[in-house]
Amino acid sequence: MSLGRMFYLYRRLYVQQLKAILEYNKDFYILMCSAALTQVLGFIFLWVIYDRIPDINGWQFWEVTFMYAMIFLTEGVASLFFEGTWRMSRLVNFGEMDRYLLRPVPVVLQVFCTGIGINGLGNLLIGGVIVWQSLARGHVDWTAGKAAVVVLLLVTAVIIRVAINLAGNSAAFWIRNAGNAFPLMVHNLADLAKYPITLFPQAIRILISTVLPYAFISFFPATYIFGKSEWSGWWMLAPVAAAGMALASYGIFRFGLSRYESTGN
Amino acid sequence: MPIARLKMYRSIANRSLQNVLAYRNSYVINFLAGTINLLAIYFLWKGIYSGRTEVGGYTWDQMKTYLLITYLANSVLSWYSETAISGKILDGSVAVDLLKPIDFQSARFAETLGSSLFEGAQSLILITVFALCITGIAFPGSAHVYVLFIISLLGAVLVKFGIVYLAALVCFWSTGSMGIVWTRIALTNLLSGALVPLVFFPDWLERLALMLPFQSIIHTPTMIFLEQAGTWESLRLIGLQWFWGILLWLAGKAMWSWAVRQVTIHGG
Repeated sequence: MSLGRMFYLYRRLYVQQLKAILEYNKDFYILMCSAALTQVLGFIFLWVIYDRIPDINGWQFWEVTFMYAMIFLTEGVASLFFEGTWRMSRLVNFGEMDRYLLRPVPVVLQVFCTGIGINGLGNLLIGGVIVWQSLARGHVDWTAGKAAVVVLLLVTAVIIRVAINLAGNSAAFWIRNAGNAFPLMVHNLADLAKYPITLFPQAIRILISTVLPYAFISFFPATYIFGKSEWSGWWMLAPVAAAGMALASYGIFRFGLSRYESTGN
Repeated sequence: MPIARLKMYRSIANRSLQNVLAYRNSYVINFLAGTINLLAIYFLWKGIYSGRTEVGGYTWDQMKTYLLITYLANSVLSWYSETAISGKILDGSVAVDLLKPIDFQSARFAETLGSSLFEGAQSLILITVFALCITGIAFPGSAHVYVLFIISLLGAVLVKFGIVYLAALVCFWSTGSMGIVWTRIALTNLLSGALVPLVFFPDWLERLALMLPFQSIIHTPTMIFLEQAGTWESLRLIGLQWFWGILLWLAGKAMWSWAVRQVTIHGG
């Protein structure tokens, strides 16, 4: 199936979900605002702290807010456009995956379009504003090349985020109960990447730069953008991490799908 | 009659405890998620304190204690009650509760106490492990501080229940609970002192936070445990907790009787 066709199908499926969501518009606003509020809160936290101290381990205020907001920004994109991964345990446990398997459309594409997390819009907006402010105020020496790399790092960050979500939620194929909180735990580990990873012990640093490469969403891009010389060059691994994570998570998903055996009735 | 009633609520509390135990897997995972969060915050603060002896009037040892107490006070009464009450309203099973000769609010409070037992025990274990691994936790010296601290924890549960209950009743007017729950959590975390001690705030925000009920949840127990409040000051803070607890309880009652009328309008 060509990429253009996939994109077309994705758009059609997505618009259908959007119609459903807009039916309940009171919820729509509440969710959006609450997501934004949660994020502003973390910002206030950093602001209150930096009001008293000039730096944390050599990291300035706008450098840390960049990392913090990148985690939220990518989460926003993931829940706005790929929320379906979070419905996977439902799809598997209720046997709804049957329907998807019968259609001549890639299953993973259909899974992505199983829902829309409108809270993502709040995260995306506020995250975007904070990232933009951090870049504008954080003493960055801009060149055309740097801008291009920053765009590339944003794209890889989103890929990493979505891939980790897909991999984590694929646990539904193995853990067959409705209250499966494993994906949530994987998701929560992103909390560790909101701050410079140099704060953490070696084991945690390695975990969030390899198996769950959250650090390539926030920390490594920050080292490049704000010119931290001791980490120079590390950002180049971000596309590698994105490609690796995407392949791995698709592999896990396919493997899980091959074990899928529908429900009894 | 009152004794029979008490028995009834005790059995509700008991049932809710068993419910928690039956679904313990998701609690264990929730618990792990909490641990990750605690670790992240711990190392962040450690970074903040590196090369400094005190920030905002707190030494690093006091801050470690503050973090653990916050974790304890926050995990007692967490996820279960939050979703159980709004869930009843959203899926309509509240209609069945209306038929029962039990006060809805008291029954939910009994349920909350039941699950709090489990959640509290769980976080106590984690905190003990943590306290053994790190040094310098500032334990209070005299016994009466512990007594005051435990009373203030109970007060915190009462106030938090009041806030959670009011937030849950808002679900009568919405179709989902997630947004309301998140907003509630965000506001509580900011204004109770769970995020940072209230003295870190700019003056106006600190004064505002002290005037609101949220501070009873975290601020009061930590002040007492860290012995930043003397005995009289502690008693005053606990009195304030009870004031807020009762006020919120009455507000919940009023809102409930108003909300129930809304349900009848919708026709169930």
